Amino acid sequence: MTDQNLKWETDMKTALQRAEQEEKLILLDFFNPG
Amino acid sequence: MDAVTYPNRKVTDYCMERLVPLRLDHEAKPQAEEFLVKWTPRLLLLDSEGKSHQDQLGFFFPQELLPFLDLGQAKYLFNKDRLDEAIDLFDNLIKQSPASGSAPEAVFLRGVARFKRTHDPAPLKEVNRILSRDYPGSQWSSRGFPYWNL
Repeated sequence: MTDQNLKWETDMKTALQRAEQEEKLILLDFFNPG
Repeated sequence: MDAVTYPNRKVTDYCMERLVPLRLDHEAKPQAEEFLVKWTPRLLLLDSEGKSHQDQLGFFFPQELLPFLDLGQAKYLFNKDRLDEAIDLFDNLIKQSPASGSAPEAVFLRGVARFKRTHDPAPLKEVNRILSRDYPGSQWSSRGFPYWNL
């Protein structure tokens, strides 16, 4: 069990690289900061 | 989602352990245009090639987000023709979260995956039976209707 809060990537390229290396899917959340 | 769902420990653990969480502004280029983002929150599950396997608009409570994520992972396996693995995930979702909004689609796709694996129409007929009995108001019950007479 993690003891951290949810940490988000903010860059698609980085997320795609991680997804390939870690063999995971990406959870992409589009949000409106306003 | 920030106030209610993402702080939930089960959600955090699931996302950090099993997924790569990525957050983009609703106007981020080129992704917002590529995925036709017109409202938020909008959640997608992408593979390492950037292809979408699960996509939904709107808010999720934690008890609905987790089955949604399970369903997306199962659909990825289904789309990759990894049918045995997909069936296992569909099975687990249906058993663990039978009342979730994701369960009817899992019932449908599990039946299809079983049919694709064996070409025996019995699993498709079972789709109609289960959906009619357990999820009569679901859109998936309608989608399974043609299989009643196989």
